Amino acid sequence: MLVSGLSAWDDVAVKAGVPWLLVVLYSTAVGATEAPLPSLPSPQGQGQLQAQPQPVDELWKVRTGGRLTLDLGLVLGLPATWQTGLSAGVGGGFMYGRTFTWGVRASWSTSTESSIAWKVTHQDIRLRAAAAVQHSLGRGAFALRLGLGPTFIYEDRVRNQGARAGLTGSDLETSSLATVPAAELEAVIAVHVGGPWLFILSGGPSLLVSDGIVHGGWTTQLGAGWQP
Amino acid sequence: MGARACSLLPALALPLAQYVRGSVLRLALALTFTLFTLPLLPACGKPKGFGGGEPPLVTFNVMFSGDLAPLRPPDVTEESSLQVALVWGQQWLQEPFCILPPESDAAAAVIAAGCRDPLGFVPARVDVSVPITIGATAELPLLYLPTPDLLVGDITGRVGYASLVVYDDRDSSGTLELSLPRQAPFGAEGRRGADVAPADQTADAVDIIYGASFVTMTEPDERIAYLEGVFDMTSAFYPRLGCDPPGKGFSILGAGGFDLTTAFVASAAGELPPENDPASCTMAAPKEAVVSIAARARAEIAEIDCEERRADGSVRYHEPPASAPDLTHRQSACVHLPLFDTGGTGDTAGTQSTLIQLVVSGLPGDRCKGLTHYTLRGCRQDVICTVPDWDITATPPAWWPCPI
Repeated sequence: MLVSGLSAWDDVAVKAGVPWLLVVLYSTAVGATEAPLPSLPSPQGQGQLQAQPQPVDELWKVRTGGRLTLDLGLVLGLPATWQTGLSAGVGGGFMYGRTFTWGVRASWSTSTESSIAWKVTHQDIRLRAAAAVQHSLGRGAFALRLGLGPTFIYEDRVRNQGARAGLTGSDLETSSLATVPAAELEAVIAVHVGGPWLFILSGGPSLLVSDGIVHGGWTTQLGAGWQP
Repeated sequence: MGARACSLLPALALPLAQYVRGSVLRLALALTFTLFTLPLLPACGKPKGFGGGEPPLVTFNVMFSGDLAPLRPPDVTEESSLQVALVWGQQWLQEPFCILPPESDAAAAVIAAGCRDPLGFVPARVDVSVPITIGATAELPLLYLPTPDLLVGDITGRVGYASLVVYDDRDSSGTLELSLPRQAPFGAEGRRGADVAPADQTADAVDIIYGASFVTMTEPDERIAYLEGVFDMTSAFYPRLGCDPPGKGFSILGAGGFDLTTAFVASAAGELPPENDPASCTMAAPKEAVVSIAARARAEIAEIDCEERRADGSVRYHEPPASAPDLTHRQSACVHLPLFDTGGTGDTAGTQSTLIQLVVSGLPGDRCKGLTHYTLRGCRQDVICTVPDWDITATPPAWWPCPI
């Protein structure tokens, strides 16, 4: 049985007991997709080799060459303006180009933290104009992406115990929208899985300026890409 | 305001977009303009996060009036720091000896000297305190709700009551300290060693009480109420029969009170005592009312800062000490165990115990009233236990004044 998305070399390696993930990484690094299979000794002769099952590369052909890449995935990161907690959500965007690419990206994530007095929920909406430099290697591509743009922070604050105490209106809950400039520098790894589909992992440090203070953070995204 | 300004920004790009050909380029222009100009606007607000302080859940207005000069103890010439505290009340039952008819005049004297008002307000915990000035209204903010142990009721509804107490913070602790009734020394009670002093004997608090909004149910009061869920109209926790139930959350309730005889009669009938004057019932939201507290003599409000060791009316009996306790300034009486405590089942149920107890009141100078109960036989948990922790009925102390 062939492992989906692997070359014939990969298939041999997997059958030999090499972990699948290592095979994928190796294949990505050396670009083994085009290497022919060696002639295997067979009592039936050379003609029997042509009757063997179709190599996985034929089943999961990778179509590359498109300039446009769309992606969507799970976003995790440090909540904007906070230095604690985890903001989780979804994000995506498009990038256009080959070595030098540009595009627009967006993400939404939310996090909730509490103090004795408050339960605060932040919804971070990030819009970024992004530029990246990338290098293709085998099935994969490595890129360094810089994103600049605003982060919208929709904040909802609820006074703990307020509802039980009979508070209503703004005494109980307030919300506000803030916009802060922000930037991210992310390392991106994209691996062609099959056809136009990619597995994309990105992550790196982020910065934003709020109330004159620079806040550091991090962000990461795990998702799927589509390159027609 | 900030959010509205932010939402208008994309529209500002439209006039520029008319000079650009192609819908895609126009969209790109509007998007780029929005992306890079939004963060530059200070009108777009900033998140507060966990800042902005801790606003109170409720604020009570308190007015204190009166002349303190004649109410001060002899050794006090001025107030150290006059404060008002919110004190949550405890559900408490008086012990049987104090409410049953006295066996003798001596027993009546002990009851008078050592039993507190059975309808009085019993403090459970002191909450926030703030400074207060005579003749001026003070604001008392409450940052936290009362904890569940201060509320009485079940899952469908529970209520807590509090009294506002004005005091002189003599020890500058910033809060009102409560005191416990003091006990006379007792024997080893089956443990090794000699007579022991009560382990929880602590010094009386030095703060001086000058007034309270809720002292006892036998006189008019103004109390803080906190209700969760549906109020149980049959609740006997500081009852106000005939008055409207408190509203959800915090409220300020007023009641005219009822007398002790009415309370006894109603309790015997399994009912709540009715208010003497139902028209005196009031209820107001905290922000709409000012709680007025008048300065009063210490003797009238002496028990407002006295905790109780037991809330369920049970009695802890002690082994009498080998050496005679100093009974010079105490009231004492030899009485039978109250019928409630004789226990027993079957043929012995409800029969009067033959065990005689010595009941001793506290000292006149004690801040809180209290009793010490001695028996020649008993257990630390149950006076009529089968295997007693101590039994000196055959060899009572030489000073033991009661019949054996």
